[in-house]
Amino acid sequence: MNKTTCKSWRRAAAVGATLGALALPLAAAAADAPVKIGTVLSLSGPAAVFGLPERDAINVVAKKLGFKSPGGRPFELVLHDDKSNPTEAARAVTQVINNDKVVVVVGPSTGSGILAAGPIASRLKVPLIAPAGTMAVGDRKNEFWPWVFRMAINDATSIEFILKDMAKSKAKKVGVLYQEDAYGKTGVDLAKEIAPKLGLEVVETVSAPYSATDLTAQATRLRNAGVDTVFLQVSIAALGTSFLKAARQIGLDKPIYANAGLAQRSFAENVGPEADGLRTLSIGNLPFEPIAEEKELSDLLKADGKVPQGWGEIVGANGLLAALAAIDAQAGKEITGESMRTALEGLCGFRSYARGKICYSPDNHDGWDGSSLTIVEIRDKKMRTLD
Amino acid sequence: MTFSEFILRGVLAGSIYVLLAVPMSLLFSTVRTIDFAVGAYALVAAAVAASVGGVLGIAAGLGAAVAGSAAMALIFLLLKRFGCHNHIIYALASFGVATALASAVLWQYGTQSFVRDSFSQFWSLAGIRISPQGVLNLVTALVAVTILYVVIQRSQLGRMMRAAAVNVMGSELAGIPVELIQVGTYLVGGLLGGIAGLLILFTAGLDYSAPLSLTLSGFAAAIVFGIDNPFRALFGGLAMGVAEALAAGYTSGMVTSMVPFLFLLIVLGTSRFGDATVAGDRT
Repeated sequence: MNKTTCKSWRRAAAVGATLGALALPLAAAAADAPVKIGTVLSLSGPAAVFGLPERDAINVVAKKLGFKSPGGRPFELVLHDDKSNPTEAARAVTQVINNDKVVVVVGPSTGSGILAAGPIASRLKVPLIAPAGTMAVGDRKNEFWPWVFRMAINDATSIEFILKDMAKSKAKKVGVLYQEDAYGKTGVDLAKEIAPKLGLEVVETVSAPYSATDLTAQATRLRNAGVDTVFLQVSIAALGTSFLKAARQIGLDKPIYANAGLAQRSFAENVGPEADGLRTLSIGNLPFEPIAEEKELSDLLKADGKVPQGWGEIVGANGLLAALAAIDAQAGKEITGESMRTALEGLCGFRSYARGKICYSPDNHDGWDGSSLTIVEIRDKKMRTLD
Repeated sequence: MTFSEFILRGVLAGSIYVLLAVPMSLLFSTVRTIDFAVGAYALVAAAVAASVGGVLGIAAGLGAAVAGSAAMALIFLLLKRFGCHNHIIYALASFGVATALASAVLWQYGTQSFVRDSFSQFWSLAGIRISPQGVLNLVTALVAVTILYVVIQRSQLGRMMRAAAVNVMGSELAGIPVELIQVGTYLVGGLLGGIAGLLILFTAGLDYSAPLSLTLSGFAAAIVFGIDNPFRALFGGLAMGVAEALAAGYTSGMVTSMVPFLFLLIVLGTSRFGDATVAGDRT
């Protein structure tokens, strides 16, 4: 055994890593854009399904604007991958603020990433524009609440929207499948809380880990509970696919609804006939039936060679537009993280690529209400917007 | 009826775990390390098969999975050439290969999930609706395990594989082509991982984020009754599938995901397999 060679490899790797780490601040010091906007998004890992469209939209909007805000202020984007990992999200936010000197951060992409990065943003006094619906992100009990501005619909609003559509169909007994994480658990708890107010009852809940390759047992349990309709609180497309196949296999022939995680072009196009009739919540319908504001964004993406995927592009693009609107609100002034926070709290009805109006205030950091939401139905590999 | 239905569904689901566990068992029998890229081979096979389509797609998918395992085998050989004979390093390297393969799939195919239809009709077994695909999965797993068992336990090649695992230098002195056997074992692992990926493609679907969880499920199935024998991997995979199905059927909430791991802990902690399971006993 040649341990020396092994050690020398390790030593070389350590030296390489150190040199790499040293190179980062040097590269940042060379940059000279007047206003720097950080984008910390999930470009790899499970949440890349949202992070990649967010990044694409931010890039095409920035290019279209010529890297100048609508008011003419030049800006620069500093992009980091949080790897769908809260620890990495916190580290990346620290880096873009301390090393790259950004005055606002769009991201991180996931609720857990935002919760991890929030205390850092608060300590370093730089606001986060958060593209996630996780309720805890907008909890006013968080010490970092003043520094987090949501650029998505909160989960309570989303789930109420879905349950209202269910209630229209005369369904009474609801079964819920949720993924085993904070997103899934919060969703099922909210569904149980909201359902009775709409004349519904959650009669059975089942869960599945990310790794599940077969959900026939879960589907069987919902079928045996005699549910009238099923709600999927999942964001992992493979789980949604697996459940739809399982439901078909075991004869669970009931209307199925899903939260916005499955409102993706790739999901609609790849699942097959099992997805026909699936209703999912979505922020707009960018890939298939965009309204005028969304179509503009869709065209920008297509012109850049991208295929619009879903609402990820909408929250990403509007996150950047919110940051730029806040910059323009401070024309002629020195811009800091603190001044960005104050400016964001005064934003309302700025130009956006969405069907709803986005308004922040000192008491409201959620921004969007339910007016931007829609229910889409998957049919023939397309998402059709329902009235 | 309900209990037997959950048992049956668990057995059918567990057959996928068997195909993920067997390559780990096989590699451990031969090289005394674990290839944690098995889940990535499954993903690569599914992604390529889904994009190419048809029978050609299946062949291309298997080819891509074997190519992935060939890359891992090459890294294994390079590490040996540079004097690294630490089995932990081989295992860690396989994590790197898994990450690289998953990233390549993400880069090439994006975040889409890979899924294909197989059978549109279902069978009824004592009143339980089952998919022919599930039966195909189980039969494939049984055939793979049987072939490997016969090869390892009853053939000259199997004896050379076991000898190479027990005593590398002695095997080389006896004229056994140890490195060739080791590389071949990595390739067979890639093939089996690829088959698992194809079956998942037609059963439930998967996406770029699947490799790690698939690998961990396979690893759990491989070690539960002892990692040194493909037949134990068979029973481990089926037992994990049944434990998961019963947990999903009879427990609530987050407890569901704990049950299979509690089962694993209980078996490892109390059974006669005990410590020797992970160490690779031959009893």
